[in-house]
Amino acid sequence: MSKPYILLVEDNPDDVELTQRAFAKNHIANDVVVLRDGAEACDFLFDNSKARNGRALPQVILLDLKLPKISGLEVLERIRADAETRLIPTVILTSSKQEEDLLEGYRLGVNSYVRKPVDFNEFVEAVRQVGLYWLVLNEPPPGVGGGGM
Amino acid sequence: MADTSVLRPDLSLVLERITDGFFALDGEWNIAYMNAEARKLLHAVDDCLGQSWLTAFPKARGTLFEREYGRAMRDQQPVQFVEYSKTANAWFEVKAYPSPDGLSVYFRDVSSRIEAQREIERNARRQQALIDFGRGALGGVSLHQLFLDAMDLLREVLEAPIVEIHEYDRESERFTVRYVSGWPPYAMLKTVEPLLAHVAYVVRTGEPFVCPDVRIDSRARSLAQLAKTDVLSCLTVPIGTPLEPIGAISIYFPHTRTYSVGDVRFMQSVAQTVAESVNAFESNRRMAQVLESIRDAFVAVDRNLVITYVNSQMARYFDVKPEDVVGKPIEQYMKMFDVTGMALRSFKEALAHERPVTYDQELNGRWYETRLYPFSNGVAAYTRDVTRRRTEEQRILELNEQLERRVQERTKQLEVANKELESFSYSVSHDLRAPLRAIDGFSQALSEDYGASLDERGQNYLQRVRKAAQRMADLIDALLRLAKVARATITMSRVDVTAAALTVIGELRAAEPERQVETVVAPGMWAVGEPHLVEVVLQNLIGNAWKFTRHTAAPRIEVGRNGEGEFYVRDNGAGFDMAYVNKLFGAFQRLHSTDDYEGTGIGLATVARIVHRHGGSIRAEGALERGASFYFTLPSAKE
Repeated sequence: MSKPYILLVEDNPDDVELTQRAFAKNHIANDVVVLRDGAEACDFLFDNSKARNGRALPQVILLDLKLPKISGLEVLERIRADAETRLIPTVILTSSKQEEDLLEGYRLGVNSYVRKPVDFNEFVEAVRQVGLYWLVLNEPPPGVGGGGM
Repeated sequence: MADTSVLRPDLSLVLERITDGFFALDGEWNIAYMNAEARKLLHAVDDCLGQSWLTAFPKARGTLFEREYGRAMRDQQPVQFVEYSKTANAWFEVKAYPSPDGLSVYFRDVSSRIEAQREIERNARRQQALIDFGRGALGGVSLHQLFLDAMDLLREVLEAPIVEIHEYDRESERFTVRYVSGWPPYAMLKTVEPLLAHVAYVVRTGEPFVCPDVRIDSRARSLAQLAKTDVLSCLTVPIGTPLEPIGAISIYFPHTRTYSVGDVRFMQSVAQTVAESVNAFESNRRMAQVLESIRDAFVAVDRNLVITYVNSQMARYFDVKPEDVVGKPIEQYMKMFDVTGMALRSFKEALAHERPVTYDQELNGRWYETRLYPFSNGVAAYTRDVTRRRTEEQRILELNEQLERRVQERTKQLEVANKELESFSYSVSHDLRAPLRAIDGFSQALSEDYGASLDERGQNYLQRVRKAAQRMADLIDALLRLAKVARATITMSRVDVTAAALTVIGELRAAEPERQVETVVAPGMWAVGEPHLVEVVLQNLIGNAWKFTRHTAAPRIEVGRNGEGEFYVRDNGAGFDMAYVNKLFGAFQRLHSTDDYEGTGIGLATVARIVHRHGGSIRAEGALERGASFYFTLPSAKE
């Protein structure tokens, strides 16, 4: 069993960099796997993907909504439809707070919906809380990742 | 006298006493006896006794009296009869009883009875004549024929040799002879310049002028001059009334004549009928003028749909002369218009249900509207060419359709535009924020990781970059809110404005607990609206008041409702210059610098849009450093 890790699906390299910086600032040492679009995410997550290279499924998925090829909501829908992935805690981390997106996200069974603040300090704080909650406080369902930082 | 001896003295006494006239003739027609009454009635002389009856009364020769007496004696049968006696100038009722040696005759004067009876018969004949005359007048004979009939009637019934009808012209106040008959040819010229005192008299007074003898009646002085023309007596009655005179009818006789009440009444009745007819003709003529002058074609039919009147416009439609169609069924003239039978059905419907009916018909590319109005004994129909109106209506219909199509197109375009706007807002909210976050984040990273390499000024610049990024993020959010208000569907419900205001104030106090602001919220304010949007209004207005009293010594915010039903939010803060009041509600319009009071300039635009979408209005009053008041209306709710 490999080390628990975070899957970050995000197409914007700036956001990827800032998110990782925020993880670092909050001393979240878990591995972060970054995928750049919805199609990559699906390849990685489903059908015992070779892309995963024998690795276990992630402990938590941070999912942007506006992704190239396959949108974040569609990825979410497929995560929840697949028997292996449906229990993985999934957090939407996005710039949008459109009502439709919120509703659709929760309807598809997202665990949390977090809007990325423009202010970096606030962003760091948001990432800290998300990390603290989902990686430390929350007990994942059996068979999904493992606790610890 | 010897003959009287045949009668016993006592019988003679009896015969003298009876009130009937009585005489006896012997077998040779000699007068054997005559009582006093008979002498008186027959104006007989005393010595007629013994005379032959025909010698004593020569006028009786060849009369019914002679024939009947002869028959009685011949047949030895009593006879009884009524006959006019030329001898006595009276009517006698006679009973004669024969005996083998003579005849006893009883008789009495029944003149008054006979006269009365004859008067009754005459009156009946006159009455009948009048009825016939009136019937003719009602039956629609021409006015000309009516006058001729009147003259014939007077000549016949009153045996008037001369009849004259004058017409009175109200404007010139002159009389003209309209009809005349019976004047001897040489008299005509004289009546051309008529001697009209008697005619003027009857027209002025409305009374008949009865003149048995023109020589002795002063009012007939003028007529006396006509004596040469053999006029010795006249009767004149007015036609019409003194208020509405039409003329006069006169009859003239070449002899003196007495006129009975019946004669005068008869004349008056004839004049009355003439007057009514003239008036009816006149009102018909006026009616016809009206019906000619209206633009509509007009036709009237009776209950059997027979034409009783058409005006010339309708006759043109029918392509006939008006006088040719009166009295004919309307159906035969409508056939060419009425292919579907709708017109005929409409006439029947108007008659049957006694209500107006309107229908339209097309003929040769033109449209005609017909309105039917039933009346007591028929239907009046007005038809007019409505082609132009229908063309206009048609055009309006087409325009409306066009407009409707355009509206639909526009709506579709608008929907597309809305969708685009939606995806645009989505992009704005998502894509525009990401670079901002990068600017902020990397500025921060720069400051943190390489802060040592930057002097204070460099650090300050970085702070400015971050501040600008934050402000732009706020602007984007505000814009999105405004767009959302514009698109939001409004579901109305009762809103507790007081409670909402108190909530907003509570939130503001919680965010800035250090601020001391006096707030007054009127109790019990209710409105009808979309609760969330009403909340946004209050958040903005109260939020502004909160913000703009920041530098005020004793800040005070008041939320209430005035006498006109307007809600208001009033503060005593920085206020604004009324010169710029028009700019208050525009997006991105700000009357204060960001340094003094932060803000996006979108809040009031959002408020105005919400109020307008509720069908309300908003206005502002204020003065620099003296506070601002915002008034707005919402649909009101009953408590």
